Amino acid sequence: MQTTGQSTRLRRAGRGRDAFWLYMSLALALLALEIFGPGFPRQLRGYANDAVAPVLTVFKGPISAVQSGMERFAGVSDIYLENQTLRDENGKLRQWREAAQRLIQENEQLRQILKVPQREVPPVATAHVIGFGGGAFERSVLINAGSGDNVAPNLPVVDELGLVGRTIEVGYWTTRVLLITDLNSRVPVRLERTSDVAIAVGLNEPYMHLRFLAANGDVQVGDRIITSGHGGLFPPGVPVGQIISTDDDVISVRPLSALDALDFVRVMDYQPLPPDVKQPTAEADATGRPQ
Amino acid sequence: MAGGRTGAGALGIAGFLPIGVSFLLAMIMLLPLGSGVAGYAMPHLVMISCFYWLSSRPLLMPYGACFLLGLFLDLWVGVPLGINVTMLLLTRLFVLSQLKHYRGKNRGVHWVVFTLMAFSLLALSWAIMSVVEGRMLPVNTVFFQWLVTSFFYAPVAFVLGRLRRLML
Repeated sequence: MQTTGQSTRLRRAGRGRDAFWLYMSLALALLALEIFGPGFPRQLRGYANDAVAPVLTVFKGPISAVQSGMERFAGVSDIYLENQTLRDENGKLRQWREAAQRLIQENEQLRQILKVPQREVPPVATAHVIGFGGGAFERSVLINAGSGDNVAPNLPVVDELGLVGRTIEVGYWTTRVLLITDLNSRVPVRLERTSDVAIAVGLNEPYMHLRFLAANGDVQVGDRIITSGHGGLFPPGVPVGQIISTDDDVISVRPLSALDALDFVRVMDYQPLPPDVKQPTAEADATGRPQ
Repeated sequence: MAGGRTGAGALGIAGFLPIGVSFLLAMIMLLPLGSGVAGYAMPHLVMISCFYWLSSRPLLMPYGACFLLGLFLDLWVGVPLGINVTMLLLTRLFVLSQLKHYRGKNRGVHWVVFTLMAFSLLALSWAIMSVVEGRMLPVNTVFFQWLVTSFFYAPVAFVLGRLRRLML
């Protein structure tokens, strides 16, 4: 009996080792596919995100309710002080609004005189952030808009404060957005005050570094950086961040967008060239509209 | 038939509890919990779940389940395919080979064993990611995730223990 028990255990152990090596080989094959494959895993991820989206959307409701409840509870004690601050800000903002309206009108008139093309970038979709991703290695979020909403890869994504990132994996209902703080993110930017150009590099940290700035570039803490439009991926003039330190040639930038608490974001329908500059296609000729 | 059916099927639907709970925890890992810190400080709940179930009911968490969990986690989290698969397969290999040394010991010992294993696996995942990316990735985010994962082992294992007593 003992011999039978031992042989059963040995058989099971042998089968376990076989199974381990079988699945490990599959894991290595997947890694190889990821490194050398032609984008197949990216498409697969899009579908996998679509599958999990309903569950995340269901979970998102109670989480948002709890968070807003906690914020409301935490904010009660400061409500009087906050009210006073908001009144002051409101007064200043009214003055700014009047100034801005005058400038918009003036700007529009000058654009028409000089025949400068419009720089307004229309949104292709406004979406809800339903998930975070990346773990310790990547910084990305999942939004509930996909190819069904005309979202395509490599479109810029913004919130009400500034640049959030760009779309990378597009499913039918969901899209993964690579955040500007991701290690693989490189955003061509310029300093708003001096117009010096540089690259904002993500670090997988809450802040970014500013690199490739000219040696005689004048940088001060508090300077805002905006997209330069170089490279064609992001439209020029979108707020990106603010310089928070310039220690030992390392320039740190805090993103302006609320990456800590993203809720709604806007996917921009940005094309580097205006549609009327592009070559008309056969279909465009047929419909009379450029593609 | 020696032993008969010993896997998840022998217990009916309850036998799939470890796999189901682990999938649920994988989805929880994706949720936007209101803080950017949660993005990279989210504990690796699936690793905790796999370690717990493998230490208490190893037959209910076979290699195939570890593979599928890892695969879906890779797809959902957005990291290269194979990273979490490798980590979870190695978790099973580690627990099955070392369980005889810590089975029956108190929860503190389990916690220490998990902490050591998590350190090795996250270090391995960092090395694999560095190879995939072709450069040395920063270690601080991985180190922080290890700290958070190790800290969260105790409360998550406590909840899983209650669930096990209730349903298995």
